[in-house]
Amino acid sequence: MGVINRFIEQAKTKAGSVVLPEGTDERIVQAARQIKDDGIADPILLGDEQEVAATAKQAGVPLKGIRVVDPKASDKLGVYTDIYAKTREMKPSIAARMVKRALFFGGMMVSQGDADTMVAGVAHATATVIQAGALTVGYAPGIETASSFFLMVIPDFQGQKDKPFIYADCAVNIAPDPAELADIALASHASGEKLLGEPARTAMLSFSTKASASHDDIDKVTAALAIIKERAGGLNIDGEFQADAAIISKVAAKKVKEPSEVAGQANVLIFPDLDAGNIAYKLTQYMANAQAIGPFLQGFARPISDLSRGASAQDVVATTAICIAMT
Amino acid sequence: MSDTTERVKKVAAETLKVDLSMVKDDSRFVEDLGAESIQSVELVAAFEEEFDIEMDEQGALGVKDVGSAVVFIEKHL
Repeated sequence: MGVINRFIEQAKTKAGSVVLPEGTDERIVQAARQIKDDGIADPILLGDEQEVAATAKQAGVPLKGIRVVDPKASDKLGVYTDIYAKTREMKPSIAARMVKRALFFGGMMVSQGDADTMVAGVAHATATVIQAGALTVGYAPGIETASSFFLMVIPDFQGQKDKPFIYADCAVNIAPDPAELADIALASHASGEKLLGEPARTAMLSFSTKASASHDDIDKVTAALAIIKERAGGLNIDGEFQADAAIISKVAAKKVKEPSEVAGQANVLIFPDLDAGNIAYKLTQYMANAQAIGPFLQGFARPISDLSRGASAQDVVATTAICIAMT
Repeated sequence: MSDTTERVKKVAAETLKVDLSMVKDDSRFVEDLGAESIQSVELVAAFEEEFDIEMDEQGALGVKDVGSAVVFIEKHL
C-alpha cells in the first residue's frame, strides 16, 4: 500500500472533520466530494452558499451531504467574534471583520472544536494561512514559530523499501535563529511521532559532527540543541551531525564517539536554514526518485495545512488525509 | 500632513497598544512599533473599520508601515 493510501485508511478510522475555506474553487469542491464519498472525513465548505453551489455546478459535482457554511451569515459568527475579540483584546467590530474572513472563520472552527483540521492555500499565500492559523488556532504549547515539513519517501534506502523521513524546514523559515530552529525541531519531532509509524529520532544537521569543526553556523545549531534540552530534555533529538552521521549507522559508529539514540538512525532531519532544507529535499526527490509529500505546516495547537496554488483535487484529498491522521 | 495619515497613526497606536506619540509618519509596524508580523491582517481590519472600506487580504500583506498603509487606503477611498 502506498504511503498516501496508508494515511487515507488511517484517516477513515478517525471520523474527523475538515474545514475547507476556499469553497468557491472547483478543485476544493471536487476534493470535498471525494473526501465525503471515500469516508476520509466530514468536509465543510466555506463561502457564500450560492457561489459555492455555482462552483459545484460548474465542476459537475453534487453537494449532497456536504455542509456549506457562509461565515458572514453563520450563527457561529457572534460566538467566534466574542472569543476572538477577547483573546486578541480588540474591539468586537474589528474582530467581526477578522472572523468573517474565510480563513479566520475556518481557524476559529478548528480552535473551538467545530472542525478537526483546516486545509487551505489554493487561493491564499502561505503567509496568509500562517497568519490565520497563528491568530486563531494558536501555537502548540512551548512553540512560537510556524514551520513546515516534507514527508519524504525513499523507494530504496540502504535496502529498506519506501523508507519515510521528515525533512524540515524546507519552505517557511529562511534563516531561523537558535530559538526558531529549536521550535522547528520540536514541531518536526512531534510530526514524526504521528506520521512515521515508528518512534521519531531527530537529527540537527550541520557540516560538523559533534564539534568536529568550529564556526558560528555550528554554534547556532548547538545553541538550538541547548534550548531543546532545556525545554524537552527527554526527547530523542540530538546533534550536531553531518547528514551521513545522522542516517548511516556505519558512519555514525566512526564519527560519533558518545552514546546517541539518534546518530546513524535518524528519521527526522532538521536543516540549519531554508537554503539547506529546500536544496536537500529537491535533490532527494529527483536524485533518489523519492516521493516528496508536502509541505505541511506545523507548530500549531491543532493541525492545519497550506496547499500550493497549483494543488490538484487529489493533493487536497491527500493533504486532508494526512492532517486528519495527525489529529 | 493628510488627514488619512493622522487616522492611520491613531488606528495603529490603538491596535498595537502603543502611545500615539510613538507613531511617526515613517514608522514600520513590526520593527518600530513592536507588532507581531502575523498582526498585519488585524491592522488591515482596523483600517477597514476606521475608513469603512474593504481591503483584499493579499494586498494587506504589503502593508508594513504607516506610509504604505496610507497609500493602500487612499486607493480604496
